[in-house]
Parts: sequence; C-alpha cells; structure tokens
Amino acid sequence: MATSFTSSISMQPRFSQATTTRFSLQKPVPVFKTNLSFTLRPRSMPARLAISCAAKQETVEKVSEIVKKQLSLSQDQKVTAGTKFTDLGADSLDTVEIVMGLEEEFGITMAEERAKEIATVQQAAELIEELVLEKTA
Amino acid sequence: MAAPFTLRKVGVPPNSANLTEARRRVFDFFRAACRSIPTIMDIYNLQDVVAPSQLRFAISAQIRNNAHITDPKVIDLLLFKGMEELSDIVDHAKQRHHIIGQYVTGEGLVQNTGSKDQGKSDFLKNFYTSNYF
Repeated sequence: MATSFTSSISMQPRFSQATTTRFSLQKPVPVFKTNLSFTLRPRSMPARLAISCAAKQETVEKVSEIVKKQLSLSQDQKVTAGTKFTDLGADSLDTVEIVMGLEEEFGITMAEERAKEIATVQQAAELIEELVLEKTA
Repeated sequence: MAAPFTLRKVGVPPNSANLTEARRRVFDFFRAACRSIPTIMDIYNLQDVVAPSQLRFAISAQIRNNAHITDPKVIDLLLFKGMEELSDIVDHAKQRHHIIGQYVTGEGLVQNTGSKDQGKSDFLKNFYTSNYF
C-alpha cells in the first residue's frame, strides 16, 4: 500500500473517500470515470456498486496496458474496466497468458481457481489489489 | 507469497479422461512454464536478449500450434514432451544457443525446417522419400 500511496499522491483525497465508501453505502459513482456501465443505475444495488468500484484507477490502467500489448491491440482501442477479454478477441490461452503477465508485472502469484474466474479487466484489477495487500501485510 | 517457483519432477500422470481435463493440464503446464521463466532467464543470461513477455509468447505459440488436436491421449503425449523439454531447460541440460535459436528467433529445430531442395521435381521428391511410387 505504501508504494501505491506514493505513486498516486494527487489522487489521495479521492482514495480516502473511496476506501471509506467501500463499506458504507454512499454513492461512489461520481468519483470513478471508467465505470461507464455502472453509472446508468446509480440507485439500484448500491452495495454492489461499492464493491465493484474498489479497484484503483492506476491498477486498471496497468491491466489495460498489459491486455493491449498481449492481444496486439492498437493504442486507441477502448479498454475499460468492464471489458471482457473474450470481447477483445482473446481465447482461453490468451486469458491465461494475460494473467501470467499480470503476475509478473505485480510480483504476485495467483491461485489457479481464482485466476480461472477472471473474465474482465475489473475482476483482474480487484484480484491483483487483494493479493498485493496480502503480500505487503 | 511469491516464493521462488520450483518445478516438480516429470511424472507420469494418469491419462486424461476427457478434453476438459486435458485442457486443464495444458493450462497448468503453461502456468508452470511461465513461472519458470525468471529462472530460465537467470540460468542462460537472457536478460539483454529477450523480455519475459516474448518468451511467454513463444511458449503460447508452440501450444497454439497444436490447438486443433482433440484426442486427449495425443494431448497427453504432447504435454509429456513439453514437460520433458521444460525440465531439460530448467536443469541446464540445454545451452544458451539452443534456447535462443528455438525460442527467441524464429528458427526452431533443424529437423523441423523443410529440406533445401524445394524447387526440384516431383520425381526427385518421391525418389528421396521411398522406393515405390
């Protein structure tokens, strides 16, 4: 966590709001720009929104970069948090390769069962953050 | 977390019952190979030559080469050969030029490249392969 705070000092006030909103039911929606699909339903299922917005922006960015490089996508292709890997033309081997790339990038090891469930950029970012937290804890 | 990854010995696992299990084995093999990449780069001093992502791509390309196979027994055999190759590489039984030639540049093994006489006639090709044509 220390490294993430030093590298994202400008976003610090937003993060403190985000970490507190993880378990409260305030609206985290205006803070995150990338969850376009979730802004359509701001009032229904706020608890689910709080959990899904838990991934940090920079993690999502890094994951998107790795995905783009792996699948050889052009730089202006939109990869948001909710994008599924299969939508971008990845087959199952590509998904495993992306997961291994993320393991190398963040220095973590993902258990097989958890890595199998990853289908979107958002899930990958959340799992990464969880493991990074466990590692530094 | 992130303890150094050690490769298990090449065992002879029971045959895969169906395609799903063979698929799972393929992914397990791929994960084991990817996690051995730091060791491999360390052993053969490939740090300046290639990036880990390139090696991952080379491994996945080889797996993808055989992606069309549907028989679980054939997949098992290919996996066995793959595990054997991986063990050889990790045990430093190969040398740097093997690794670079097979996985970094696109050359591959000499036995897999086509023969030099591609432009020759069909008669000669048949003549080289067998007595009866």
